Amino acid sequence: MALVVLRRIGVFATTVVVASIVTFLMLSILPGNAARIALGVQATEADVAEQATAMGLDRPAVVRYLDWFGHVLVGDFGTSTVSRQAIGPDIADALGITVILVLTSVVLALLFAIPFGILTAVRHRKPDGVILSGISQIGVAVPGFLAGMLLVTVFAVTLRWLPAGGWVDPGDDFGGFLEHLILPAIALGSVQGAVLSRYVRSSVLEVMREDFIRTARAKGLGAGRALFRHGLRNAAVPVMTVLGLQIATLLVGAVVIERVFSIPGLGSLLLDKVALRDLPAVQGIVLVLVVFVLVLNFLVDLAFTLIDPRLRSAS
Amino acid sequence: MIASFATVMVASMALVGCSTGSTNVEGEPDTSLTVGLLATPGNLDYTTTAGAAIPQALLYNVYEGLVKLDNDGTVIPLLAKSWTVSDDGLVYDFQLNAGVTFSDGSPFTADSVKFSLERVKDNWTANGPAYLDPIAAIEAVSDTEARITLSKPSNSWLFNMSGPVGTMFTESGIADLATAAVGTGPYTVSSFKTGESLVLSANADYWGEAPYMTDVTLRYFTDATAQTNALLSGDINLISGISQFQLVDQFKSNADFQVLEGASTGEVTLSMNNASDAFSDVRVRQAVMYAIDRQAVMDTANSGYGLLIGSMVAPTDPWYDASLADLYPHDPDKATELLDAAGVSDLTVSFKIPNLPYAVAGAQVVKDQLSKVGITANVTALEFPAVWLDEVFSNHDYDMSLIMHSEPRDVTAFAAPTYYAGYDSPEVMATFAEADAADPTAYIELMKEATTTMADEAAADWLYLQPAISLADADLLGVPKNTPSLALDLSTIAR
Repeated sequence: MALVVLRRIGVFATTVVVASIVTFLMLSILPGNAARIALGVQATEADVAEQATAMGLDRPAVVRYLDWFGHVLVGDFGTSTVSRQAIGPDIADALGITVILVLTSVVLALLFAIPFGILTAVRHRKPDGVILSGISQIGVAVPGFLAGMLLVTVFAVTLRWLPAGGWVDPGDDFGGFLEHLILPAIALGSVQGAVLSRYVRSSVLEVMREDFIRTARAKGLGAGRALFRHGLRNAAVPVMTVLGLQIATLLVGAVVIERVFSIPGLGSLLLDKVALRDLPAVQGIVLVLVVFVLVLNFLVDLAFTLIDPRLRSAS
Repeated sequence: MIASFATVMVASMALVGCSTGSTNVEGEPDTSLTVGLLATPGNLDYTTTAGAAIPQALLYNVYEGLVKLDNDGTVIPLLAKSWTVSDDGLVYDFQLNAGVTFSDGSPFTADSVKFSLERVKDNWTANGPAYLDPIAAIEAVSDTEARITLSKPSNSWLFNMSGPVGTMFTESGIADLATAAVGTGPYTVSSFKTGESLVLSANADYWGEAPYMTDVTLRYFTDATAQTNALLSGDINLISGISQFQLVDQFKSNADFQVLEGASTGEVTLSMNNASDAFSDVRVRQAVMYAIDRQAVMDTANSGYGLLIGSMVAPTDPWYDASLADLYPHDPDKATELLDAAGVSDLTVSFKIPNLPYAVAGAQVVKDQLSKVGITANVTALEFPAVWLDEVFSNHDYDMSLIMHSEPRDVTAFAAPTYYAGYDSPEVMATFAEADAADPTAYIELMKEATTTMADEAAADWLYLQPAISLADADLLGVPKNTPSLALDLSTIAR
């Protein structure tokens, strides 16, 4: 068991280091000069060169990488070339917002997908099951940003029930926080909910054909009870696998949704910083995203072993 | 500053006086305002950070200079209540307002003038420190009298003093300009989150007339549709300088909102690299001028909003000549003649544009029209600002581009031979220099002469002037219409 944990940590650390090198290299070859962006069109080439030196941009790439990553290892993400503030707190703030958004959308997606998927599975030969299944197919096809724009048009612009965008910290005003959270979370979660409901449906359909369900039915359990007692836990494993894969997709989706709703999350921060070639900040954000995805995948793995005892011995 | 979204307003004071003010449910006047803007400041320090976003938020609101620009683009007194100029145009004596303090409590005196302006040369790296090059000496005659001596007469420097470089700082307030702004203005910064919002609160100790709005939130958007949705849903009260004009018409038919159309200083420019093989011949550049139907470009890129100008001069400048808009009527036959005369056939040019909506839309029309006179333009959209600045602006690696030049009176910068346009006319540069040193009447005439020559020589195709369109709640008063400077002057807005 200790070996397994050690191996996991080793893989984790290697992935982080490789990701840090790839991020650094990719950003190094990105065209654009942070010094020119900082000084604008009125500055001379000599001013720009001086600024580049002041920003440390003229040092060899290896030196810049080691300097940056060395500081990251001790928790110092460095100073933004634009805001001239420590990057760490900015990333922490933005990450908090994105995590709230992503987790809320996962919860909403599950709240929709599980009952809807089971219902469409149970009714799969009936006309209503087919119609509901078709609806979820449409949900898969609608991109999150389009869902977001439609939600804004209906609930913010036309009905004026909810704000069209922006963000309020839960500590400042919890009601305002919920108001600002609901539309983007639905927009982000809608596609995932539709996708998940398809998996729940096929997973439940498969489980319903299993021998142990037939045995349970033979023992005298009703169809619903057999499914509930013996089926769902088994059906959950493939759904959890998909959910784990989807979390990375959700983070990418959050970048777009944050734009549509003007939410100052990690995606917005990343795009702003890339545009300004604030490389220390971009490197820090990408690294945090990588670590975030790795940790989530680890948690999903852990959840498997809780759901399905058979997987415990395998690990 | 090129192609910044920032649009700005300086306001008519008169409207504020007329305001009766609306009230909210408690019967108190609602003195809070939320403004939606696109370009976000990266920090609060415009002495070392370029871009229109920081001056838009802070200039005239938090920071003040001796003078400011009114909404018509005229220099008017601010911290200086008056000034006199010596007959030779070299010595400016400013009489300063008394009893002015910075927001940290320190007094504003002639010493602050000396301190602030002397800092520019050594400490400023952005927003045009060279504008103050004409200054030879600054003297604090008394607490309320500052004397500035120029090395040569200059008509433009007082105008430039109304911009960021003229800002007054206090020695105790410059320790951390990126995060703390200490000025003499009607507002102070109470919070700032980059990419999100900048909150201004009325300065209780303001020396001048207190602004009507006591709490102003500037909210930053990355998407023009999200910005207009926020106005439609009541999240914000005002959009200053909408950038996508197809979003405007829905507000015209809605009684809850007002649409203000004014003039900006943003010339949307089809730049031709005068130093490139393709465009070094004036006849080829003129052929492009005749080949382009500017109205059609404006209709496509701007939904018809804007003003055909024909030169790099905004209507708020005294040397504006409206007739230049007709200098090159759309005439493809004439274009073909000029190309034949220049011995050019099957010309292929690189057309490197910024990836901004107006440029992407406009470039397609330009490409299409050029193809009708036998010029093939290969359009590449470059990431703006990073890659465009690098390839086109710094390395001059392009034949043609399309971008808005939004800085006021930027024609003199455009004419410099080292500028990305590659236009090299010693005569025009000499005329600009002569104009700057001339008496005020000759100044206008000479500026007109130089800018007309640039149009005659087709230094670039100034396609149209970007309009300054503000969208606001119907009950807002005193919203500035024009944007003659970088600042968004909030002090005149009321309900």
